[in-house]
Amino acid sequence: MGVPFEALLPYGIVLVMFGVSGVGLSKLRHMQNGGKRPRYAIDQWDRVMMDRDRRLTGYLRGQTDRVAAPAGFEVNNPWRVEERYF
Amino acid sequence: MAARQPRFNQQVLIDTTPLPDDIPKVKEIGASSAPLMSASFFIGARCKPYNDDYMVCKTEANGKGELECMKEGRKVTRCAASVLEDINKYCLEDFRKHWQCLDNNNQQLWQCRSAERSLNKCVFDNLKLEKVIPGAPENEVPVHLRKRQIFAHPGRH
Repeated sequence: MGVPFEALLPYGIVLVMFGVSGVGLSKLRHMQNGGKRPRYAIDQWDRVMMDRDRRLTGYLRGQTDRVAAPAGFEVNNPWRVEERYF
Repeated sequence: MAARQPRFNQQVLIDTTPLPDDIPKVKEIGASSAPLMSASFFIGARCKPYNDDYMVCKTEANGKGELECMKEGRKVTRCAASVLEDINKYCLEDFRKHWQCLDNNNQQLWQCRSAERSLNKCVFDNLKLEKVIPGAPENEVPVHLRKRQIFAHPGRH
C-alpha cells in the first residue's frame, strides 16, 4: 500500500514556502550588514564604536584602516540633546 | 527627504566650530573599530607609557580633566597613529586579512587565530612589537599561543 503522491504535495509546498522566506530574510540581513555576518550580543561600547564607524565611513558596518581621519571628522560628533518636557 | 542632514534637531546638536588655534592640532585616528581591535595589542605594546600617563592624569583630575589632559591625549593619539602607520606600511596584507576576519566574525579574536598568528609574526619581525595580554596568568601559555583551541566556530580558526 503505497501513499499516493498527492498526499505529499502539501508538505512540499510548506517546505518550499518556509524555505523561500527563510533564505530571503537571511539574504536581506546579510545585505543590511554590508555583505558580512551580522554583529550579535553587542554592548554599549560596541554601539559607540559602530556609530564611530558610521561617522568615518558612512556605513554602520563600514570599516577602514586609514591612519588619519577624513577632514571634518573631528567636528561631526553630535552632542546628545536633552529631551524637552513641559 | 531633505537633501541636507540637520545640524540641530530634537535629538542631536552637531557643533562644527573647530578647536581654537591655541590648541595644537593633531589628526584624529581614521581607523575604524575592526582595524583598531586588530592593532590594539600592538598599540598597547608601543604606547603603554603614554596611555598610562593619560589615565593617571584623568584619575588625578577627579572626573574632570578634558582640558587639563589634552597634552597627554595628543601624545596618545600620535602614538597610536604611528603604530597604525607602521602596520599599514609593513604588514598591510596580514593586517587586512585579520581585521576583515574580525569584522566578519563579530569582532571575536578567538575566531581568527590563524590570521592573527601571521599578523603577530609579521609585526614582531618588522616592528618588534609583541602581543602580551595584560593580567594573563604567568604560569600558563597565553590564549593566543595555545596549540589546541576548543572554543571557536568550526572551520574558522
